[in-house]
Amino acid sequence: MDTAKSFLKKLRTFLIFAGPTTFVFLFVVIFPFIFGIYLSLTNWDGIASVYRFIGFSNYLTVFQDQFFWNSFLLTVKYVLYTVIFVNLIAFTLAYLLTSGIKGEEVLRAGFFVPNLIGGIVLGLIWHFVFSRALVFLGKSLNLELFSYSWLANPQKALWTLVIVSVWQYSGYMMLIHIAGLVNIPKEVIEAALIDGANDGQRIIRIILPLMVPSFVVSMFLTLQRGFMVYDVNLALTNGGPFRSTELISMHVYKKAFLAQEYGIGQSQAFILFIIVAAITLTQVYFSKKLEVEM
Amino acid sequence: MKKARLLTLALCLMLIFSFSSALGFAQTTVDVTVLNSKGEIQTQLEEIAEHYNRATSGVKVEIVPCPVGQSPFERTMAMYSAGNAPTIAMLDPADVVRFQDKALDLTAEQWVKDAIERSLDRSTLPNGSVIGFPFTVEAYGFIYNKQVVDKAVGGKFDPMSIKTTADLEALFNKIESSGTGALVISPMDWSLGAHFLAVSYTTQSANSSGIDEFFSKLRDGKANLAANKQFIGLMDTFDMMKKYNVDKNDPLSGTYDRGPELLGKGKVGIWFMGNWAWPNINEFDTANGQYGFLPVPISNNPSDYGNSQIPVGVTKYFIVDREQSTEAQQKAAKNFLNWLVYDEKGQEYVVNQANVIPAFKNVTVEPKDPLAKSILEYVMNGKTLEFMTQLPADHWPVVGASMQKYLAGAIDRNGLAAEIEGYWSKLR
Repeated sequence: MDTAKSFLKKLRTFLIFAGPTTFVFLFVVIFPFIFGIYLSLTNWDGIASVYRFIGFSNYLTVFQDQFFWNSFLLTVKYVLYTVIFVNLIAFTLAYLLTSGIKGEEVLRAGFFVPNLIGGIVLGLIWHFVFSRALVFLGKSLNLELFSYSWLANPQKALWTLVIVSVWQYSGYMMLIHIAGLVNIPKEVIEAALIDGANDGQRIIRIILPLMVPSFVVSMFLTLQRGFMVYDVNLALTNGGPFRSTELISMHVYKKAFLAQEYGIGQSQAFILFIIVAAITLTQVYFSKKLEVEM
Repeated sequence: MKKARLLTLALCLMLIFSFSSALGFAQTTVDVTVLNSKGEIQTQLEEIAEHYNRATSGVKVEIVPCPVGQSPFERTMAMYSAGNAPTIAMLDPADVVRFQDKALDLTAEQWVKDAIERSLDRSTLPNGSVIGFPFTVEAYGFIYNKQVVDKAVGGKFDPMSIKTTADLEALFNKIESSGTGALVISPMDWSLGAHFLAVSYTTQSANSSGIDEFFSKLRDGKANLAANKQFIGLMDTFDMMKKYNVDKNDPLSGTYDRGPELLGKGKVGIWFMGNWAWPNINEFDTANGQYGFLPVPISNNPSDYGNSQIPVGVTKYFIVDREQSTEAQQKAAKNFLNWLVYDEKGQEYVVNQANVIPAFKNVTVEPKDPLAKSILEYVMNGKTLEFMTQLPADHWPVVGASMQKYLAGAIDRNGLAAEIEGYWSKLR
């Protein structure tokens, strides 16, 4: 009797506080997700009122689709470069901006600003930089490297995406690393100083191991954002030249809405979901193991 | 406590009432929304709608733009899913039949009888009912700047004199030696894939069944493009164009906006594009509005089919929604379409404000736009090719990418032929 009452009471409290959010989450995320999986098993084109259930043949098509896997490999390449460079630069910036140089606050704010600009705007700005500004500079200074638009060359176009993403995210990850650096107890560093550790030893032996939690967070964020990137891709290269920089999100979108093969696009999206979930979860699991207990 | 509760209740009731009144009682005029997927005439269409709203009472026509870079199919689909379908949607020809279970049957409308020959091909269902209103006829080819070519040939340029690839090359040569760039190739995938390459499809045969036969051969993987006369001829022309392209050092960096600027300012003599570019060229015009079309030659034999014709066809259709619109809205939509065809003012606005070539025999308004005039000339002389509007939806991005590779020299002609054949044979 008593337990039943307290259960009801708990339920009421839950419904009052978390009810609306749960409701919205169910209807906006979970149900569409499940319905999406169902649609991936049909031959819907996105508009017709009637469509047929066709089992797993969409998945079969996706596994045989060379374009899909090329695009996926390209995305992996892009993610690899961005994760490495973003974290490297972010950590360096964070380290320099906590070492007590002049104008720290202003610099921190400055490096963070790119992250506040929306991806589309950013893409358009950099599109101008790569296709006009750099070309103009290259031609007037006779620099072979910049004389031709980077956006017109498949390899260089991928690098423009990497450069812009690194520029955009380094500031954000820098903040996370700064938080990690500030939280390292002073005593430990002082102890190392007294023991005669030099700068390099201090970073590798003391600071980095104690920073693992912030690396876990920033790696997770950069990985996930890298796999899901769409806006910069759209505004900067739009998949060009000749679809050579079509990252996976854009590929899925184009399949579903442009090629009018919604079912296939939906199965690609689901496969992508599983792969990204697997990658990020393994990353979090293994890096958690590296964390040092104080 | 009690007071607070009462207050909350009162507020909730007020909210509910305000919603229901907004939905239920404010219907004094009939709203007709028109989804416009021709971004370049958005303001013109808005003006037309304004004129119409002033001339008719009880109806409010509103033009909704389809965002740049989104296909009309994508946009309409999203609007239907949101329960906010446009009363009238402007669609690409190949998409019309996909909306057959949502579009109103328009077979009984008067304009169906006045539509020009074959303009209803893509909006007629197999059972004979018409669901689409042909809105605009368009054509493409080489657009020339008359001032530049006149100067190059030293006198009056005759567009009829260009009938072979060699003629065209001679013209390019003359333009270059007169001190101007010969031509600019805009490297957009849609332009290269859906328009340029499609010339090799439409010249396969003078009648539709011949072209359809070619498509089924492509689908079966039996059309050997690398040995196809039209394909070889078109690519020979393309190779020649590449030589004279002002952007040949960096062929993929150009954007659409660069074309009208170079042509309008007279920095190049020729640009491969269609008449939809007129408003853009007009912004930069330095040739007193004197432009015209040249065909894309595909051989060195002047009498070959395609060497003196340009592709002309209906490229946008209106459909009227029957699923989410009220009867009053559907009726108002039909009236609006009729006004575009039969009202004198409507005709004038469509032809000379929106620069649209109507697909109706009864419209006799003379266009002022030089490209439209040029097209009408080709139409009068029967020098037209079928505009390939029935291509699959992902034809232009896929095949356009292959054309870009060829333009940049990343693949050779056999590679290009193989990629195009690969695309077609993979279709289901």
